[in-house]
Amino acid sequence: MSESSPLIVINNITYAYPNGTQALKNVSLNINAGELIGIMGSNGAGKTTLIRTLNGLIQPQSGSIFINNENIQSKTIAEISKSVGIVFQNPEHQLFSNTVRDEIKFSLKNIFDKEELLETKIEDTLKMFHFEQFKEKAPLNLSGGQKKKLALASIVCRDPSILIFDEPTLGQDEKEIDFLIALLRKETQNNKTIIIVTHNIEFAYQYIPRVILMSKGRLLADGPTTKVLSNEQLIKKASLILPQLTQLKASLRAIGLEIPDALHTQEAVRDFLIKFFESRSHKGGLS
Amino acid sequence: MYTLNHINLKIDDNKFILLAGETGSGKTTLIRCMNGLIPQFYAGYYKGSIEIAGQKTTERSIADLSTIVGIVFQTPENQLIAMNAEHEIAFGMENLGISQGKIKEKIEEVVQLTNIEDILEKAPFEISGGEQQRVAIASVLALEPQILILDEPTANLDPYFAQKILKLLKTIQKEQHITIIIIEHRLDLVLPYVDEIILMKEGEILEQDTKEKVINGKIFKELKINKPLIYSIFHDLKERNLIEAPIPVSLHEAINLLKQKL
Amino acid sequence: MSFKFLEAFKFYRKKAVLHNLDPRTKLLLALVYTISSLLFTNIIPLLLLFLTLFPLILIGKLAKQWFKSIRGLSFLFILIVIFNTFFLSVSYSIAMIIRIVIMISSFSIFFLTVDPNELSLSLISMKVPFEFAFSFSLAFRFVPTISIEAQNIIDAQQSRGYELKKKGIVSQVKNLFPLLIPLIICSVKRAFNVAEALESRAFGSERQRTYYFTIKYTYKDWIMTFILLVILTLSIIAKIYFNYLPSWVSWGLPI
Repeated sequence: MSESSPLIVINNITYAYPNGTQALKNVSLNINAGELIGIMGSNGAGKTTLIRTLNGLIQPQSGSIFINNENIQSKTIAEISKSVGIVFQNPEHQLFSNTVRDEIKFSLKNIFDKEELLETKIEDTLKMFHFEQFKEKAPLNLSGGQKKKLALASIVCRDPSILIFDEPTLGQDEKEIDFLIALLRKETQNNKTIIIVTHNIEFAYQYIPRVILMSKGRLLADGPTTKVLSNEQLIKKASLILPQLTQLKASLRAIGLEIPDALHTQEAVRDFLIKFFESRSHKGGLS
Repeated sequence: MYTLNHINLKIDDNKFILLAGETGSGKTTLIRCMNGLIPQFYAGYYKGSIEIAGQKTTERSIADLSTIVGIVFQTPENQLIAMNAEHEIAFGMENLGISQGKIKEKIEEVVQLTNIEDILEKAPFEISGGEQQRVAIASVLALEPQILILDEPTANLDPYFAQKILKLLKTIQKEQHITIIIIEHRLDLVLPYVDEIILMKEGEILEQDTKEKVINGKIFKELKINKPLIYSIFHDLKERNLIEAPIPVSLHEAINLLKQKL
Repeated sequence: MSFKFLEAFKFYRKKAVLHNLDPRTKLLLALVYTISSLLFTNIIPLLLLFLTLFPLILIGKLAKQWFKSIRGLSFLFILIVIFNTFFLSVSYSIAMIIRIVIMISSFSIFFLTVDPNELSLSLISMKVPFEFAFSFSLAFRFVPTISIEAQNIIDAQQSRGYELKKKGIVSQVKNLFPLLIPLIICSVKRAFNVAEALESRAFGSERQRTYYFTIKYTYKDWIMTFILLVILTLSIIAKIYFNYLPSWVSWGLPI
């Protein structure tokens, strides 16, 4: 693969639903291999339609999509799904097996035809997602957070080079989000391309380097998350709200605390404040 | 194992209360007990008693209790049963045999309160999730409950609409002088509006107190719930004794605190 | 798999004359046209009957959706042609197709223009108990919701390598499980959600129910009723005196 050609090239695509709703209008987008990219925008902005075009579930009425220099229009959904895996929002839309193990097996059986390889892969997946103790449990009896994790596992185990997550943090607790963050790190290190549709603005600001904003089927902005999400005008246009971290930084500056712009994580801002107060108390200035 | 165990709870009127806890801690089960859905609709092993506004939940029908306790559920789409908002709001009142004239008055009132004038004639699948949730809230408010309970009303909404819904709820609570109990995962958005917090874990209530006390306590810190960013930063500052005032939960509070310091 | 054909029966609110008529009038319309079409087996009278229906489709601004529902049933037409041509004649199968088109059109006018809420009201006005009438309108309310959910399930399964088409009857049936099980589970869950919401809004209260909305038979409904009765009467008369009618009425193709 040459450096100049991106992994995903979306070329001016347009899509309208049968009832006439224009879901995508002239969307163009390039995504490089190994990128972690967020798609944000209010409900109905066209985010889920866009991701559905990427594995052929929806065929745009005009424009084209190239993945790995191949036009996906000529391929079947099953073919594309081997390299593009979408984890949808509601895990209950896909869980149907009697056990957690079978659920994973269903996702893998089309890929591995050798029984031995299949079994190893199932065990690996169960281990990776900490499902070993639940493997004989019925997916329906898992907690909401666990179901979501199982849906995640059922796609990630197929090892597609492009992973797409629709609202992965929705309804998840702290520890499940921590697991997700670790997973994202690991998969991007393995040169996986990850696309995340999310409303979770704090999550996006801190963990996703690049973001595109959508509004009413159009691409509103595309750039570094910390820049895009700090742009008040864009945020307003996309019906989002500013991340608390940028608001905090702006407020700190307003009261005369010169915080560097490059601090983009909660921890960095916290450490800055700690250092600031500690240096002041050393000088004995804290009253 | 019990879903709920040893629950003792007293809730005052005219309060905005947050019910928080890890997933599976029994929050939804608890609120289903409050309007009699448990044990009247969902059977099971049930012991103890709940009294709401002087009425025992086991002695009155769910229909009767609906005029005291209104519940708005998580998925707005599944609680809208009519083809447009006006029918939706009228439905509960019709069931209670309220006269046409009174229904008309009440519809006008709650429509104004929830700001849904523009979508009165639209079908559920023609409006957005935020609008659906407002219609659901209006249809419950029409029964004039003294307690309004909401189970993750903003779960499926984008942050902008989530904030709008929460603001609306605070206005309703103040104007109607009712108690609102809300289950909400977005603590950063909801905390500014909250008076009291109830913390749950594994079917038990760990703490119930004013917002300030709960947030500054140990239990809140240890629960695996998504804490607001401002809280996390200032909690760590406080642990190092760099600030001593109560931990702020909103940007506004945080900035005020820092201003005093500088 | 697609659920597009459901579109044809989905009610859309429009400001058109037909939409404003009383649901009972529109039910009468469906019945009059069904009965009249059953009276004839020749192309010309059925075609004339259909021509009287066509303006209604245009006035009601339903042409697009009507066309969809007709197109969705094209396989049925092919079946009719095959069977009837084998056993009877081409003329007869054409007549039968027109008959079916009339029946479907008249009922699709009914479903496309009657607000499900009003549907339950008209059932109640015909002495159907409220609970029954209400569950009828509830079923209508959730058709689009369920069809969206079904599509989501298909999408989710396809994303993990599920293939819609399989060879062989056994694998075809087995292949339905990944779709049907989530659909059933989600529907049961939804049913509980809906029931909870209903209970929480005093459904099943012992008090005497009131009705905020009412349906009225206006002068427009009476005019329509009159026209419909004229059509029915003319059809019946034509049927009885069919042999005395000019011969072009019974015109048919030579085969």
